[in-house]
Amino acid sequence: MRKSAGVALAFPAWVWLLVFFVAPVGMVIWFSFGYKPGIFGTHANDVLSFDRYAEAMSPTFFATFQNTLWVGIAGTVICLLVGLPVAYWMAVKAPPSRRGLLVALVMVPFWTNFLVRTIGWQVILAPEGWLSSTLQAVGLIDGPLELLYTRGAVLLGVVYNYLPLMILPLFVAFDRVSGPLREASKDLGAGKWTTFFRVTLPLARPGVVAGVLLVFIPLMGDYITATVLGGAKGNMVGQLVASQFQTAQNWALGSAMAVLLIIVIMATVAVGAGLVWLVTLPFRTRNRLVLGEPEPSAVSKPVEEVAA
Amino acid sequence: MTTATEARTASQSSVRAGSVEIDRVTKRYGDQTAVDGVSLTIEPGEFLSLLGPSGCGKTTTLRMIAGFEQPDEGDIRVSGRSVLGLPPYRRDVNTVFQAYALFPHMSVAENVAYGLQQRRTPKSELRERVAEALELVQMRRFADRKPTQLSGGQQQRIALARALVNRPAVLLLDEPLGALDRQLREEMQLELKLLQSRLGITFVFVTHDQGEALSMSDRIAIMRDGRIEQLADADTIYARPVSAYVAAFVGQQNFFRGPVVEGGAAVESPHAVVQGTGAALAGLANGQAAVRPEFVRIEADDAAAPAAPNSVRGTLLGVSHLGETMQYLVRLGEEQSLISRRPTPEAPTLELGQTVRCSWSAESVLLFPADEAAQAGGYVAPPTA
Amino acid sequence: MTESTPTVRILASTDAAKVIRRELSRRGFLSAAVAAGATGVLAACSPGGGAQNAPVATGGPLESKLSIYTWGDYDAPDVLEAFTKELGPKITLSSFNSNEELISKLVAAKGTSGFDIVVPTGTFIPQMIENGLLQKFNMELIPNIEHMDPAFLGRAWDPDNEYSICKAWGTTGFVYDKTVITRELKDWNDFIDAAQNEASGKTSVLDDPAELTGIYFWANGIDWTTTDPADLDAAEDFLVNTLAPHVAAFDSYPGGSAIPQGTQVLMQSWNGDARLGILESPDPNRWQWVLGSPATELWMDNWAIPTGAPNPEAAHAFINYVLTPENSLAELDYIGYHTGATGIEQAAADAELPMLDLVFFTPEQIETMHEGEVNEAQERVVEIWNTMKAAAGA
Ligand SMILES: Nc1ncnc2c1ncn2[C@@H]1O[C@H](COP(=O)(O)OP(=O)(O)OP(=O)(O)O)[C@@H](O)[C@H]1O
Ligand SMILES: [Mg+2]
Repeated sequence: MRKSAGVALAFPAWVWLLVFFVAPVGMVIWFSFGYKPGIFGTHANDVLSFDRYAEAMSPTFFATFQNTLWVGIAGTVICLLVGLPVAYWMAVKAPPSRRGLLVALVMVPFWTNFLVRTIGWQVILAPEGWLSSTLQAVGLIDGPLELLYTRGAVLLGVVYNYLPLMILPLFVAFDRVSGPLREASKDLGAGKWTTFFRVTLPLARPGVVAGVLLVFIPLMGDYITATVLGGAKGNMVGQLVASQFQTAQNWALGSAMAVLLIIVIMATVAVGAGLVWLVTLPFRTRNRLVLGEPEPSAVSKPVEEVAA
Repeated sequence: MTTATEARTASQSSVRAGSVEIDRVTKRYGDQTAVDGVSLTIEPGEFLSLLGPSGCGKTTTLRMIAGFEQPDEGDIRVSGRSVLGLPPYRRDVNTVFQAYALFPHMSVAENVAYGLQQRRTPKSELRERVAEALELVQMRRFADRKPTQLSGGQQQRIALARALVNRPAVLLLDEPLGALDRQLREEMQLELKLLQSRLGITFVFVTHDQGEALSMSDRIAIMRDGRIEQLADADTIYARPVSAYVAAFVGQQNFFRGPVVEGGAAVESPHAVVQGTGAALAGLANGQAAVRPEFVRIEADDAAAPAAPNSVRGTLLGVSHLGETMQYLVRLGEEQSLISRRPTPEAPTLELGQTVRCSWSAESVLLFPADEAAQAGGYVAPPTA
Repeated sequence: MTESTPTVRILASTDAAKVIRRELSRRGFLSAAVAAGATGVLAACSPGGGAQNAPVATGGPLESKLSIYTWGDYDAPDVLEAFTKELGPKITLSSFNSNEELISKLVAAKGTSGFDIVVPTGTFIPQMIENGLLQKFNMELIPNIEHMDPAFLGRAWDPDNEYSICKAWGTTGFVYDKTVITRELKDWNDFIDAAQNEASGKTSVLDDPAELTGIYFWANGIDWTTTDPADLDAAEDFLVNTLAPHVAAFDSYPGGSAIPQGTQVLMQSWNGDARLGILESPDPNRWQWVLGSPATELWMDNWAIPTGAPNPEAAHAFINYVLTPENSLAELDYIGYHTGATGIEQAAADAELPMLDLVFFTPEQIETMHEGEVNEAQERVVEIWNTMKAAAGA
């Protein structure tokens, strides 16, 4: 009874997943084994092969991919480094009455169209834009600001566009680590940093994972932020895939590239998770304590010793 | 940690490790005063309870000792040394939190080991002490489980072990038994008390359960509106409350209010003249007298009996069986009723609606000055001394 | 009255707002002009059904509504309002971003899209006609076609203007900063040379595959619609190994911010976009426009009526209306591109519109402009584009 009710409740979710995720991905995978039949055709699947994958793995793809991966990883890491303290502060230090307002403020970039807000930065960062003239007037820089169309500008735009996606899950996660747990840690002799790394952060881990994935995955597919602010330096795989679908009208090759992109994103996430696991391994081993089953004799040990 | 404590104790010979001195401490939140000039000295190895109604400042007092709050005024000394400005992790006290606050991502053993790890205890010693602490609370078997796989009472024990393993000079407990059901709570009360006397650690125990405080404490501090109303052992608090507030808060009381008569030795309420043993109210116009239900005898009314002090007639409204005692609710008039409690074996058999007579001895009567606020609101709140 | 003028809600500085509006608009947004046809989609499903019982324009009374599907911000609001005021039909505007988007919508609707007027680019029209997406005009209802310059009628894709009439056309050249490049640049070879010298690292090119191979073909006297593999290989070698290292950005709308903000020194650009950029620059004299030479491109957007249009009378009336000289001038003033009307050059000069040398060209210059083509080199050109971008980004 109850089980079937649960299945029924999950039904819309399954349909959603099927229609909006499984089906499109399935179609892309299917197309990727086909070919482009002629100049006015986009795809055909009467002959299946892995040839499109061979075509997709060209030096161009790898060069572009390297750039994409760089932006994806650097952007995610910066978002995490910036978002972590902000979210922590919002959830733990800020007065509770202000939190709603703070969350709304974090969302400010989302009030505007994605493209519009990115182009807004293009104007701000231009060598003769107002930021440049202000910095020059104040004497912080000598010549015009040479930030637009560099990787620095790309990262700035990425942080601006994606930081909310990092902060929100982190905020929720930190908010759920209750105050008494942190107090208990301090009470037991741990300082602020130890408390953060041994209690708050481990308990907020689902939020960290959610934030990292929410930033990294869309970022790997996004090419607007990178091209608008990075110019030639913001060349992304997403653009390559789009160019096959839209301009070259070669859906087979575009699909193969998209599938490769998905595979590499998953591989990168797996490698990242593995790295984190490895790096934290010594700490986790150090703190692990397994007592095992008590020895029979231990039960009758005199209790007074503890008080000594 | 032990060496530091020893060094400190050695250099301040006048001071005993485990004492807590709270010296005219005040704590305000905005314009609200949560703790108002409290002074309190807790002896080493003492079991002291902070008892009072919700919002009277118990938790705030405890949190100032632990270091989670800083007093606005006054000083707090632990083992003779002022801890003002010291963060919680530099104080030789540990806390057992109300909701236990066990780390859900660590095993029971890791929870208990946490404090020792902060003190860089060598691993072999650490294992030993964790095992000992778990044995102390009879939870050794559960060492490698996660706290979420334990019952409330078991979690409570782990919280205790986690604090005790650090061998603090003072252990602070904020309603540690509040979340347990009644039977478990009573069991734990006993265990906790035994543990405390065995270990000799100073316990500061916050509760709003008077029974808990009475049964466990060496001394009880009754708090009211951020102040300490009375600080004494259980017997004194029970038998000689300093105010009607304390009298009402600890155990139950039947209150009678009215003009003072008999040169200050009695209060004449609309239903009875209640007489005490001394002229405690001499010089006052109005007063109130209190008699505990367990001192009130009850019997079928003998119409012939003459009206006398400390004796009153009424109608039996209800009888309830409380286990060891029977409780009778007697209606005296429109607004006043009276409770009597008799040990079950000696309890008379009476019928509802029957006219009964209740009486008590003058020795059992407590006399307090009148309290206008209490009369107006019907709530038994004593005047502030 | 326009019911829904596509507007962009903007929370940026006013400076940015101008740029952003243009980025999202047709006046700057021409990248798809030579992009591939969506014939694959067309072949799969051709319109039928709803189109059969659609009304036909016979010169009867105008319907009360008119729905136009066009590029964003591509018509003077004054003209649209005046049309409704004078002739009645209320206009609803919707916008698309590429010819592919337009075509796929028309194909999917099978004649029931509800649009009365669409604005496809010329190179896409043959396939649209072939697949029955457009209907023939009733030329009796468009007498104002007489105001059109014959030079811009009868193009190869619709020789008798049965389905389409020029709405606007433009071409490609480049703009450079005279304070940095002090010599005079005259043609594509100069562009290539400057990009490798004074403007290295401060050069932008259009983010459009055929425009890139175009630079090489135009400079070297090769037909830019070539499908010869040797030509394409040579173009790739040049773009990837010679030009790419000096390119800072692939920017289809340098007039949007690069010119006003002085971001680059040398920019390949479309004429209308360059003009708006220079007009908006705080120091217009700093910039020099050069029409691509010895050869360059010509693109043209066209009024057309889709099959199954519910309000054909109003559609004809509107097209006729915008072709009047006053309205044509108003449109030119707003979008900054030549509308193809006769005598509009004089009218624009009389109205003292600025920088008309970036709108009007001599017949000799027009001779050097060639239309693009959707052909079998398309995939290769896209590949070259991607390879060049990867090289520039490395
Ligand atoms: N962080 C705080 N901010 C503002 N006011 C507070 C804060 N903490 C406590 N108070 C106020 O101080 C007073 C004392 O609170 P405290 O928590 O010490 O009461 P308590 O005796 O522990 O009550 P309870 O039995 O309900 O736990 C209360 O009136 C409470 O509202
Ligand atoms: Mg409390």
